[in-house]
Amino acid sequence: MQRKAITKSGARSGLKRARAGHPAAGGTLRQKLETNERLLRETGHLFGLEKLRRKETDPGTYEAVWQILLNICNTAHVVGCRVSSSPIAAEGGDALWSLHLPTGEAVCTSRGIVSHPGLLSLLLRSYIESGYEDNPGIRPGDIFENNDPHFGGIHSADFQTTVPIFAGGKLIAWAASVTHVMDAGFVLPGSIGFMNPDCFSDGVPVVAERVGENDRFYPWYEKRMRSRTRVPDWTMGDARGRLAGCLTIRERVLALVEKYGLDFFEDVSREYIEDSRRYAVSRVRTQATPGRIRKSNFKDLAMAGKRVLLPQQNVDCLFNLPLELTIDRSAKVAISLRGASGWVPFGENITPNALVSGMLNAYSHMVGFDMFNWGAVAAWRLEDPPLGSWANPYSANYFAASGVAWAPAVVWMSSLYEAFGRLYWSRGFVEEVAAGGATTMTAEFSGVNQYGLYTAGLTLEQACNGGPARAIADGETSAWCIYTPNADFGNAEVSELYYPVVYLGRNLEPDSGGYGKFRGGLGHTAVWLVKNTSGIEYQCGCAGIRSKVCGNHGMFGAYPTWPDRAAYASGTNLKELAEAHRPLLHERGDPERPTIGKDIKAEVIEPNCIAPFVTPGQLHEWDVIVHPVSGSQALGDPLERDLELIRKDLDDGLERERIASEVHGVVAHFDEKTKHWSLDAAATQKKREAMRAQRKARGVPFREWWQREREKILVKENMAEAVLAMWRSSMQLSPAYADELRAFWKLPDNFGF
Amino acid sequence: MAQYDVSEIERLIDGQLSWTRVQEIMKDAKDADRFEKWVAILQKRVPWKEKILLPLTTALFIVRKGEKRIVKCRCGHEFGDYRVNWKLEALIHVRETEEQLREVYRGSEQPDPSWIQIREYICPGCGTQLEVEAVPRGCPPDFEFLPDLDTFYREWLGRPLPDEVEFADKTLDTIRTWRTDRR
Repeated sequence: MQRKAITKSGARSGLKRARAGHPAAGGTLRQKLETNERLLRETGHLFGLEKLRRKETDPGTYEAVWQILLNICNTAHVVGCRVSSSPIAAEGGDALWSLHLPTGEAVCTSRGIVSHPGLLSLLLRSYIESGYEDNPGIRPGDIFENNDPHFGGIHSADFQTTVPIFAGGKLIAWAASVTHVMDAGFVLPGSIGFMNPDCFSDGVPVVAERVGENDRFYPWYEKRMRSRTRVPDWTMGDARGRLAGCLTIRERVLALVEKYGLDFFEDVSREYIEDSRRYAVSRVRTQATPGRIRKSNFKDLAMAGKRVLLPQQNVDCLFNLPLELTIDRSAKVAISLRGASGWVPFGENITPNALVSGMLNAYSHMVGFDMFNWGAVAAWRLEDPPLGSWANPYSANYFAASGVAWAPAVVWMSSLYEAFGRLYWSRGFVEEVAAGGATTMTAEFSGVNQYGLYTAGLTLEQACNGGPARAIADGETSAWCIYTPNADFGNAEVSELYYPVVYLGRNLEPDSGGYGKFRGGLGHTAVWLVKNTSGIEYQCGCAGIRSKVCGNHGMFGAYPTWPDRAAYASGTNLKELAEAHRPLLHERGDPERPTIGKDIKAEVIEPNCIAPFVTPGQLHEWDVIVHPVSGSQALGDPLERDLELIRKDLDDGLERERIASEVHGVVAHFDEKTKHWSLDAAATQKKREAMRAQRKARGVPFREWWQREREKILVKENMAEAVLAMWRSSMQLSPAYADELRAFWKLPDNFGF
Repeated sequence: MAQYDVSEIERLIDGQLSWTRVQEIMKDAKDADRFEKWVAILQKRVPWKEKILLPLTTALFIVRKGEKRIVKCRCGHEFGDYRVNWKLEALIHVRETEEQLREVYRGSEQPDPSWIQIREYICPGCGTQLEVEAVPRGCPPDFEFLPDLDTFYREWLGRPLPDEVEFADKTLDTIRTWRTDRR
């Protein structure tokens, strides 16, 4: 292999070097894209790579260069987040940088939000398919950007910046980035636009366009951000952060090319992707079982009677989020959402492209931990979701809103965790089993901050849940997030610098990880005192929550985690309590007698709010918010939970006596002197035997229940309108699903809800 | 390729290995013979002799019984053909009122029973809670896992089962035989 030494010239501007040079290699990008697809079809290998020549001949260098590329992308993450300085990027790391082939396929990605590489790949591909090579052309120093879901984005708060990398006049790669901005110019402040009724309220659009050249943003781009987003310094900080990270990738990749040669770089960057495809296939083949997994899941969005924007939003919605996963003989994975319910008049619709990227997110968490890039997509196929559903809305409503498109998708993705957990269990890889995931209830503040300036944005409270229960242990507490492997809720003290709030509490929430042999990792509750402001709104947002229903995650007999609910109070007596040096409000407390309802006085107390919602008016000094963030799901029969685990949780205040006694069936005693719990093993065994006998006594044969339940379905007994509307749209959009539902309950052929 | 003693895998299954060791196992290449060892360990632990073909859950297995492949609980209760959702042969307890939900979920932790019901599937033999569903009325029970056993044994393990059967969901075939009246 020919290598070149790094010289001073290697540190010159990549822009200068790109222009120095060679004519572009033959063939248009569109032709290359077509060739790539033909080769995959004909050979079953990406780029027709039946052999990984570079890997086979020099595996050491192959691995070393992979590590260098990882390092380059992760360096871009650090640089970009530091330059950005916005709370979401700088404090929460909610961002990603990646390296792509000229035809778009992701080669390597940084840490951060791993749901983005797939979308960035498809965005770059869309440039080619739209003829950007000819018009407007792709030149060294160009900056292209998008945040429009119609053309490759997920939701407009996620800005996607892409920078071409040229060497000697030839496009050799792309550097790309996504950051989640603090305010996207939605109709309401912030970046979790669940309330957006249509795409016209989805914020400032950047529509797969060139937004700069010669490594600089156009002045009119900055003007647009300044006039159409509420916190433009942060928005532009993010833009500069994305660009700085992309330029970091470009400079370092060009240095790498100079050292190892362009031929080597071009060869290995394709081999890494084919290698990743092979890895995806082999992980499934060696650890899963062919067959079919089905998992229903549901998510509510109950907005009737709340503050909404348009009359058609005065409605309760329930999403049907079905998952059918099949693995064929060659270990290819096919995923279907047959039965998905219809689009909603809120910002919670998602495009199929974004779901492909979400699928890659789940893949990277549950299956493919190494060499993560576009390769897995060739082994995993997402069937087009039903036309007109929340997962494929544009055929029915091209103006559907996607302000927080992730919301139904992350809840759906949770089923993929459990699906693979079941597959791993069947093969004995118990260490890889996971139950379902936690939800993501967000908190956003908008109004005047402690410096007298307008502010709007997201706390990162939701980005640090409990992790799913394992087959051999409890899930980890406050160390997990479904959309990123880098769970991080940021420092409370730093958040207090960004927003006019003071943390009165950030407590682990007892019993928030479901009830099973192993519980999910626990969530936590933030308690915020509003302080040093003339007024802020609290937006308790939905980035993937359930508030009326539980997740369908009773894996192996566990009870799922409870619904997401928040609380707030305004016109409180907290000032008097503080001045009297009395305890304030520091925790959520008992769900039937919450602390907010008994320990303080206030003009308005809302102790059990169905999320999501926006406070009807502004909150002011000494008002208070209780914001619980969920734990993850449990696994196994709760009567099989180990006594020592229960005793420890009781001692640590992580389990309540009622749950230990009534759900886990233990006989426990609290010693007032030692302040410790002890469990009576013999009495517990007897009690558990009695509870099992009670289950058998009150359980009815399924067939009997089926007959009674069928009659209730026929008359739609105790079914909320949101449930009926969901079934109507699911059955209309997926006739085969409707047929199966009717066949299961033996309903008339013309039956509908 | 990693290799582990049966005794170490037993300790892994039973949660007796240190977290550090579990992480090493997670990070290492997977052991190719895990399935054989896994089944052998589980086979030793059940009180019956039918051969385990595939573990389904912590309590349920697909086993060979004579010429048939059936779902069987670790206690010995049998649920029938593995291609029919075993839930059709289970006991079920449904929480669909606030009072019924209160035993598990109270106050602000309680879901809305007009939106969702909690279905508990119980083994008629031992009273184990096998699965729990949280779904709205009208949702057929999930048939969580229907493995393609013959492809698995023939093509992935390289030791075909002697009697191939059709890979198909037979649940609706059973439902078709059910009467809708309660006589």
